Amino acid sequence: MERITGRMPRFLRRADPAVATAFACIVLLLLIGSLYSSSFLSLDYLLLQLKVASFLGIIATGMMLVILLGQIDLSVPWVIGMGAMMACAAAAYGPLGTALAVPFGVLCGLALGLINGVGVAYLRIPSMIVTLATNAVAQGLMIVYTGGFAPRDTATDAMRWLATGALIPGVPNAVLVWALVGGAMVFVLTRTGFGRAVYGIGNSERAAYLSGMSTRRVTMIAFAVSGALAAFGGVLLAGYASKAAQAMGDAYLLPAIAAVVLGGTSILGGRGSYLGTVAGVILITLLQSILSVMQLPEAGRQIIYGAVIIAMLLLYGRAPASR
Amino acid sequence: MEEAIPLFQMTGVSKRYGGVRALEAADLAVEPGQIQAILGENGAGKSTLIKIMSGVVAPDAGQLMMHGQPVSFASPAAANKAGIACIFQELSLIPDLSVADNIVISDPPKRFGMIDRKAQRRVAEEALRRAGAEDIHPAALVADLPLSRRQMVEIAKALARNPRILILDEATSALTAADVTKVFSVLKRLRADGMALLFISHRMNEIAELADVCTVFRNGRNVATYAAGTRTDNDVVEMMIGREYSHVFPAKPLRGEAALPPVLECRQLSWTNRLRDISLSVGAGEVVGLGGLDGQGQRELLLALFGVLRGCTGKVLIDGKAVSISSPVTARSHAVGMALIPEDRKTEGLLLPMSVRENLSFSSLDRLSRWGIIDRAAEQIANDEMLQLLEIKTAGLDIPAGALSGGNQQKVVIAKWLMRNPRIILLNDPTRGIDVGTKQELYRLLRRLADRGASILFYSTDYDELIGCCDRVLVFYDGAIRRELAGEEMTEHALVASALNIPGGKATEVRV
Repeated sequence: MERITGRMPRFLRRADPAVATAFACIVLLLLIGSLYSSSFLSLDYLLLQLKVASFLGIIATGMMLVILLGQIDLSVPWVIGMGAMMACAAAAYGPLGTALAVPFGVLCGLALGLINGVGVAYLRIPSMIVTLATNAVAQGLMIVYTGGFAPRDTATDAMRWLATGALIPGVPNAVLVWALVGGAMVFVLTRTGFGRAVYGIGNSERAAYLSGMSTRRVTMIAFAVSGALAAFGGVLLAGYASKAAQAMGDAYLLPAIAAVVLGGTSILGGRGSYLGTVAGVILITLLQSILSVMQLPEAGRQIIYGAVIIAMLLLYGRAPASR
Repeated sequence: MEEAIPLFQMTGVSKRYGGVRALEAADLAVEPGQIQAILGENGAGKSTLIKIMSGVVAPDAGQLMMHGQPVSFASPAAANKAGIACIFQELSLIPDLSVADNIVISDPPKRFGMIDRKAQRRVAEEALRRAGAEDIHPAALVADLPLSRRQMVEIAKALARNPRILILDEATSALTAADVTKVFSVLKRLRADGMALLFISHRMNEIAELADVCTVFRNGRNVATYAAGTRTDNDVVEMMIGREYSHVFPAKPLRGEAALPPVLECRQLSWTNRLRDISLSVGAGEVVGLGGLDGQGQRELLLALFGVLRGCTGKVLIDGKAVSISSPVTARSHAVGMALIPEDRKTEGLLLPMSVRENLSFSSLDRLSRWGIIDRAAEQIANDEMLQLLEIKTAGLDIPAGALSGGNQQKVVIAKWLMRNPRIILLNDPTRGIDVGTKQELYRLLRRLADRGASILFYSTDYDELIGCCDRVLVFYDGAIRRELAGEEMTEHALVASALNIPGGKATEVRV
């Protein structure tokens, strides 16, 4: 009996109001969508949305790790593009290149993330600046590589299979990949010393440092993981579209940050659950889908994104009034 | 004979912070054309008094009067308006603005809504002249000025508001002797102009030179007011102490002359101008106190030993072997086995929103994990053990640490380090703001740890604690160890006297 009451607060804490709000919004969006078309509540439609969501989900996973530290990763757009292009480029180098296309793409993202991490953790450059700069560098490198045109290389079969295939009939592989990545992240965040350190640094870097944590190493690794996951997202997107495109990552920066924050993760770091990020990703994806069903122009879509994010932040994303 | 109404008067002013009484029915009268010195130990209520006078905090009870009229200050700006300006211990200048910008920062002269730079410069020049610092150019950047000049700007900034009462809260502690002389001549001129000055300092010689009237605070009350020069330094120290022992301390072990084997030693440890040639050694099972007034380098010493401060010179030896502790990671490693209970448990010791469980095991995750994965069973056992050892009262391991009481929070901070079984424990004022019961538990715990062989370096701002808990006390003054007191020499009188760096008490000079 005592054990049960001892566990009660934990259960209550899990029912984070922010996460609950995000899920409530998902239900609301589905209801609004079903007013337009009854197919909104069909299994096919929902699975399709989940598949689309999984790309954003993987990218947002890395973003969440960085935001939990109280930092931000703005290099996501061109790391996505770089991951996609480098994976496709590797495919041009014979069977070995084809086999290693996916890991190569991810490795490129990891390298760029590592540069971000070194800049933030060791050189103490604000993450907003250093990641914005590496984004520009990645963009430049990719333009040099392609000569300013869309790259000719196409995605490998493995990439297509990962993004569009279905290992389990009916369930897209992309969703499985997201589930694996997400499951791994949940494990890392809740069960490992690294995860505890991430939350600790996000809450008070000073306290974490004085506790003997290698705060700089943890920060560096988090950025590297964020880069790798963004590139992996890019690789999958290239598989989905069969090829890489120049600015394919540009549409993912705001949604990735928004998904994390809408899921209740504090933009100041230290607080948030992966379940919330999942809710945020689905919420953003549904919002996009409904806006396109309503045939709103891109400009209108952007305005509504921004407005929704501001509204949600007003609801629960603000820092306490006094510290 | 009717007494004249003083310029400023406070009667029966009280202030509590949580359960801690900072001021208790304190009275104070301030007269124009006088320099009044305020004396008192750490925590005697001086800072609170000044914060109330300058509108930073509101009193819980009591009355403030200007010219016999009741007043209340809702904010520092309101106090300024009433003619009270305060120069705080920490400089309040913005380094990247010019001297003139800083002087008029709270109320810049305006024309058409824009800052009138010419008028601003005039005001600044006038204020600097009154402060006796005409040599400082109003357009100079504050960041380019040396510390003593900045202090002069600080005074000019206060004077620009045309105060009737000027409060200096240890305003001279950052200055060299030559600068102090300059500041003093300015203060004397201001006194001659009819300004009332309140002067807080720990330097007895400064008070002797400057003050007309002295008021001694103790335990939140003003215990005596006397004309300067009518009491000896010894009398003053007596007045500052004179309080009953309220704590119960565990018995100290009796030791022979045989020296304990030193576990932690440092030699000629220096850091910028805050630590000067610190040499000390702590034996196994010994509790060594760091005494002296607040801010004389004790905290820096603990941080330096723990590898937090960059650019320290000197040697640190563990078990007689020189080690280089470059970060807390090294400090807590098995070879060193050091733990630091930091100064501010809310921002340095704990992760308040995180659970008690996560906080307790946060420093020991490397030991509780295999391949980076936390062994939950081992974590549970270690946490339960600590909860029992320290008798931490919590509604469960999963509630946020911020929900615990101050005393229990502090126990969590200590527990998280004891989980590592440290051999060397550094404590940075661990009893600040916690209740008496928890304090006594901590005293017993410290002694128990020492009896089991731990070496403890204990900084406290409470002299009773140092006397009651420590085998020896090293008294700091101005970044250096001035005295070492042991055994019978450890009296409150000797501690206060050596903290103020005046001769008195039976203390032995430290051989450096």
